[in-house]
Amino acid sequence: MTTTETRTDRRTRHTSGTRHRRAALWFLLPFAVPFVAFYVLPVVYAFAQSLQRISRGGGSYGKATSVWAGLFQYDRALHDPDFVASLVRVAWFSLIQIPVMLLVALVLALLLDTQTARLRRFHRLAIFVPYAIPGVIAALMWAYLYDPRLSPLTQAMSTIGLDPDFLSPSHILWSIANVVTWTYAGYNMVVMYAALQAIPTELYEAAAVDGAGELRIALQIKVPLIKPALVLTAVFSIIGTLQLFTEPQVLRTITTSITSTYTPNMAAFNAASANDYSYAAALSLILAAVSFVFSFGLLRRTTRGEQA
Amino acid sequence: MSQTRGRSRTRTVGLAASALAVATLATACASAGSTDAGSATAASTASAPACAPSTGKVTLTFWNWGTGMDKVVNLWNSQNPNIQVDLKTVPSGNAGTYQNLFNGLKAGTAPDLAPVEYDTLSSFRLVDGLQDISGCAGVADAKSKFVPWTWQQVQMGGSGVYGVPQDIGPLALYYRKDIFDKNGLAAPTTWDEYYQDAKKLKAADPKSYISFFSQADPNWFTGLLWQNTPTLFSNDAGTWKVSIDTDQTRKVADYWQKMLDENLVAKDLQGFSEALNKAWDNGSVLTWISAPWGWSTIRDGAPSTSGKWAVAPIPQWDASAPSNGNWGGSTVAVLSGGKHPYEAAQFALWLNSDPQAVSMLIKETGIYPAATTDSTDPFLSAPVPFYGGQKIFDVFAQAATQVNPDFVWGPTMTDTYRFMSDGVAKTLAGSQTLSQTLTDTEKKTKDAITAQGITVAP
Repeated sequence: MTTTETRTDRRTRHTSGTRHRRAALWFLLPFAVPFVAFYVLPVVYAFAQSLQRISRGGGSYGKATSVWAGLFQYDRALHDPDFVASLVRVAWFSLIQIPVMLLVALVLALLLDTQTARLRRFHRLAIFVPYAIPGVIAALMWAYLYDPRLSPLTQAMSTIGLDPDFLSPSHILWSIANVVTWTYAGYNMVVMYAALQAIPTELYEAAAVDGAGELRIALQIKVPLIKPALVLTAVFSIIGTLQLFTEPQVLRTITTSITSTYTPNMAAFNAASANDYSYAAALSLILAAVSFVFSFGLLRRTTRGEQA
Repeated sequence: MSQTRGRSRTRTVGLAASALAVATLATACASAGSTDAGSATAASTASAPACAPSTGKVTLTFWNWGTGMDKVVNLWNSQNPNIQVDLKTVPSGNAGTYQNLFNGLKAGTAPDLAPVEYDTLSSFRLVDGLQDISGCAGVADAKSKFVPWTWQQVQMGGSGVYGVPQDIGPLALYYRKDIFDKNGLAAPTTWDEYYQDAKKLKAADPKSYISFFSQADPNWFTGLLWQNTPTLFSNDAGTWKVSIDTDQTRKVADYWQKMLDENLVAKDLQGFSEALNKAWDNGSVLTWISAPWGWSTIRDGAPSTSGKWAVAPIPQWDASAPSNGNWGGSTVAVLSGGKHPYEAAQFALWLNSDPQAVSMLIKETGIYPAATTDSTDPFLSAPVPFYGGQKIFDVFAQAATQVNPDFVWGPTMTDTYRFMSDGVAKTLAGSQTLSQTLTDTEKKTKDAITAQGITVAP
């Protein structure tokens, strides 16, 4: 008696499970179709493209065909000193710029969290506004501020004896870092601030009862509790900075310090515009692989730390 | 229009940036069907391909950039009810239109006609994107209507004709006559005089520069090289030869290196930038070696200097054997895939050689024509107030006849320009010399040509 009951029970549960799963698949469809069509397929296509090279028939303008080339384009990329230099450059950039930007964002978020509601609303908006400005516009605006012949900023600084050269080859990378920090610090702050809002206030009360000051609460309660948000912003930032393009491309019009392969993305873009598609595909995939390794490396490290 | 062309290489940013979003996709889409690239036509056959008129009414699509072309097209349309031209205004070539055309050629959606700059003809021919119109009626006879070297450019070293020359950019020297006069200097006639003048002007005003070296205008530097070398490329029986790094080009590079080393030319100014306009306006940059289309660039950029500029012939390496280079200028090409090459060729010929059409082009689009028929054009023979009433286009008419006629463009100029521009960036930063830039550009260009599957001489 009991056994039959259990069996029927199990059977119904099983069928309903399949039905659920099938329903879930339907719900996934609106995501899955564009994801496959506009993400997976282009990546697969780019990969296929990256394994080819152009072969040409006789004559100065012979007919072109694409032929299988194995890892030829990847070999070419890794032996291209300009591309390798661009990878090293954005790696340095990430190493310095991301911590600085996230620290700024964190401090702003913590400060915001201690403010009264009205001030909060104003400051949150004011700090977030740069993110709402299109990247090209932001870069153009900073370009104007950096240009020694136009900038009111450099002119003001030179009256007090400072003569900064924001556009010189040795400073330009950090001038770009400044634009990126300015643009994205507010965005990251909002993510962190949202996480802070989710912390139950009882925790602060308990901490205050135990005699913790504002600073101690911030460092020992707030920061550890919003760690997932910090990791998230770090991963986004890594992906973003490795794909650096707009800012250097815009600043390129006013400074002689930026080459066409200044960042990996610029190198890939320029290879594509020179009809060297297979090479562009290889460069893009290498960049994607590097982003993948860095961001997942960070995720793994931080989650492992949590378990320990 | 050609002004837009001249600056196009520096103005790709906005579009380039937005193009980033689709860069990966473009990589994917653009190469679709690359395996059969070039199968669309057989334009590269040795004998002139047949070119028969179509029957009935024909509508041609014509992509063009710049302003004013609509008026000229309207004139044609009113005179030719059976060959109607549908004009579409697009961004300038290097700001995305060339890329769109390349993609369109692969997808079979390219227009019948489009402007193609001389230096880009090779890239288009490489993807079999140009129709040889030498077999079309009137084309062979049109040769005499153009400045001779421009016809050589569209023949590309063979017997075919791959475009109709529209405008040119022979070089001359724009200079601040008032400041030269004040220092007792006449316009320099040789490069050595130009160097001596640079030193004198520097001594008179240490904050001024005789000129600037733009990193963003490799086609400008190419024009300077062109003045002192027959060509930078050649091809023979299917093998390309690159001669970017030669004794003649090094002479030019070493000269400008000296100008840079002695701080006689500004290193931190890009062409067509606000900072340059300001430097012209406040008299800290005193000359510009540029093309006829540059006359309005200075006028619009430095309005307060009106009446103070003049134009002189470009300084010479050897005053007894004057030669010149060219910066910018386009052809109107009949693209592959179009079904009406005869009609397209007729329109392109009319547009660029009919006296009335050329006169309208000059007036409405601001080009300096490749056609020789219009040396008495009312616009080109008028004094220009901004240049103190000088008839400046007379200088350019003379300059056009001195351009080294056998110059050949390489098959991968987008890359070559990029390598040169990157090398110049390093030069201006002081980490290499201009000569090393030439060496580097030549080496990388050979690699780029090889990557396109083309044989290149070592």
